[in-house]
Amino acid sequence: MATDITMPRLSDSMEEGTVLKWLVEQGGEVKRGEALVEIETDKANMTYEADTDGTLIEVIAGEGDTLSIGEVIARVGDPSEASQDGGGESGDGSAEAGGGGNETATEESEEERSVATADEDRGGEVASANGGAPAGGDASPDSSDGNGRVKASPVARRIAGEQGVDLSALEGSGPGGRIVKADVLAAAGGDEGEATATGTVEEAGGDEQKGSMPEPQEAVAKGEAGPKGEVHVQELTRLQQTVSRRMAESKATAPDFTLEVEVDMAACVELRGRLKELADPVPSFNDMIVKACALALREHPRVNGAYRDGRFELYEKINIGVAVAAKDTLVVPTLFDVGSKSLGEIARAAHAAIDKVRDGTITPPELSGGTFTVSNLGMYGIDRFSAVINPPQAAILTVGALKKKPFVDDSGRVVARDMATLSLVSDHRILYGADGAQFLARVREALEQPLSLAL
Amino acid sequence: MRYREALNQALREELEADDNVFIMGEDIGVFQGAFKVTEGLLEDFGEKRVRDTPISENTIVGAGVGAAMGGLRPIVEIMTINFSLLALDQIINAAASVRYMFGGQVGVPMVIRMPQGGGHQLGPTHSHCLEALYLHIPGLLVAVPSTAADAKGLLKTAIRDPNPVIFIEHEALYGRKGEVPENGDAEPMRFGEAAIRREGEDVTIVGISRQALVAADAAETLADEHEIEAEVIDPRTLRPLDLDTIIESVKKTNRAVIVEEGWPHGGVGANLAALIQEQAFDHLDAPVGRVTGADTPMPYSKPLEQAAMPHSEHVVKAVLSTFRDL
Repeated sequence: MATDITMPRLSDSMEEGTVLKWLVEQGGEVKRGEALVEIETDKANMTYEADTDGTLIEVIAGEGDTLSIGEVIARVGDPSEASQDGGGESGDGSAEAGGGGNETATEESEEERSVATADEDRGGEVASANGGAPAGGDASPDSSDGNGRVKASPVARRIAGEQGVDLSALEGSGPGGRIVKADVLAAAGGDEGEATATGTVEEAGGDEQKGSMPEPQEAVAKGEAGPKGEVHVQELTRLQQTVSRRMAESKATAPDFTLEVEVDMAACVELRGRLKELADPVPSFNDMIVKACALALREHPRVNGAYRDGRFELYEKINIGVAVAAKDTLVVPTLFDVGSKSLGEIARAAHAAIDKVRDGTITPPELSGGTFTVSNLGMYGIDRFSAVINPPQAAILTVGALKKKPFVDDSGRVVARDMATLSLVSDHRILYGADGAQFLARVREALEQPLSLAL
Repeated sequence: MRYREALNQALREELEADDNVFIMGEDIGVFQGAFKVTEGLLEDFGEKRVRDTPISENTIVGAGVGAAMGGLRPIVEIMTINFSLLALDQIINAAASVRYMFGGQVGVPMVIRMPQGGGHQLGPTHSHCLEALYLHIPGLLVAVPSTAADAKGLLKTAIRDPNPVIFIEHEALYGRKGEVPENGDAEPMRFGEAAIRREGEDVTIVGISRQALVAADAAETLADEHEIEAEVIDPRTLRPLDLDTIIESVKKTNRAVIVEEGWPHGGVGANLAALIQEQAFDHLDAPVGRVTGADTPMPYSKPLEQAAMPHSEHVVKAVLSTFRDL
């Protein structure tokens, strides 16, 4: 028996996926557990492994095709089945066959509609079986409706079409001589016919869904030249679509406000200098900020929470997303349970995650589950910036460049110090000004006395 | 336990569980309800939570809407569904619409209980079945329990639901006995879950309110005398409607007959027949059948009243006519 390979659900939010590359050619051998196809989800590119052995009889979804979860993308089985099933494939498979099937279906339903209209009189009669309702029907006991059309029930007509039974050759046993399902099944060959019919019903169900699927779109289309010159239209990748949808949702729903604080990073600079000889990888300033946030988040649970459906959700684990710019997009890998991780462990986790983002092997679970986000544009020389909250999180912390700035010390003298600006963008539905201020003050305190980061 | 006792138990349990719950209506306190559903509640919970009102339906419902918007959970009893027509302004223009008008900032968590149905020679002002009328209104949930267990389970769920619920009882069911799960045993009953009262392969019969029992009775006759195995479905709530269960059944049996006590035009069956043909057209072997009350105001005369109501033999006949000429 051939097995259908369907579009797998590779992340919680995935609704459809795009086939990027088949790693086995049609006719090639497929082994359970071995890479079969690369699929692009809304979050990442994933390699999907076969869960069955056999030959890749048929590739149904071509590279670049986008299909809903559960739709058949290929069939795996015995090579002999490839030719055997040839007839049936037109019903359940390839793109062209699907299109043809659609047209047929439309024609059929139009025919059926007129039959149904002809039958409506009878509907009235049945309704009036209990007296009362106006009964206008004179049911002609004829098997045709007077226009030379055969009178058959919708289900009988459908099964006849699927099994190649000629309705005009049948005598209907239903009311008014209507051909019903039982008549068609009998003509198609008794019990055997019934078994096949059941099978076809399911397949047809799948086909209907396929018919309503959006066609994969052209990758790049050129618009007409106007005052803006020639327009290059670019379709979004799934990741870009997700980013645009979620960012708009965040700005539209979360009333956000920003708090800023300047942090004296001198002690961190000194600590990092000393750690250079001890640690590999050396914790970055960003890792220190993540650690400082983890300390502060534990003391301020609402910052490690979310406003959802009129309630606050407060999370036990502290999972900090670290925004990483990748080619054409933005990815936020999650550093899990940083509340119980040392600075060194955070540095290793961040390193591994960034490597995975850069070489494109990061998986959706590694991008989910964040409870707070840190975004750093210091490396681009940005002094301070605002950011869009990653919904439904309560807040996002942004980190500006670390640079020497004039600073008034305790004795009133102006000195040059290593300073950085941190900004906390908060969702006012869960975090109020004072909450955010206290949290930010605690982060600053941890960074200015970084010994606590080593605990 | 009788249907009326099951309702009484649900009211009692919810009054005990939540201080915001209270009951008001005509003759529900001192007189203990026209159908004795509120028996003993005034004595046990006092006048503040079990309130007798004047005969002024629009005001009773309006007061309930206001109380619900203010944070309470009123249960309003209207003596029969016919009388609820006096309160349509509050029910449709207020209760059903408030949540939408104010963008969800306030809701109307209220239950309007009322019995419907004929058979007691009370004429056209007391005997109608108007579930189709309330089914028509978006913003209202509509429950039509046919057993004691459903009466209790659905009423408890209705009281806890944040939406206005039209809870339609049936006069002929109040004295009917049925098993009711002990308090605490049962999962809270959910709206939008139909009950399959009898499984069968040949035809799907959907019975609304009391007609679910008539449909089940007809199914036995069909099996005994006509070798037709009917699947009997009681939707239990019309909004939300468990259309999935009905469509799945029709796909199996290829035939459907809907039984309701209300009028045929614009009825529950008319609506359901449209949904079935939209979603299961290619699975139908016959037009969707309907058995309804007569298309006339309810007569007072006993023989005429009986003739105007659907009975088991009407259902049997409607089912048979989907199989052959009668």
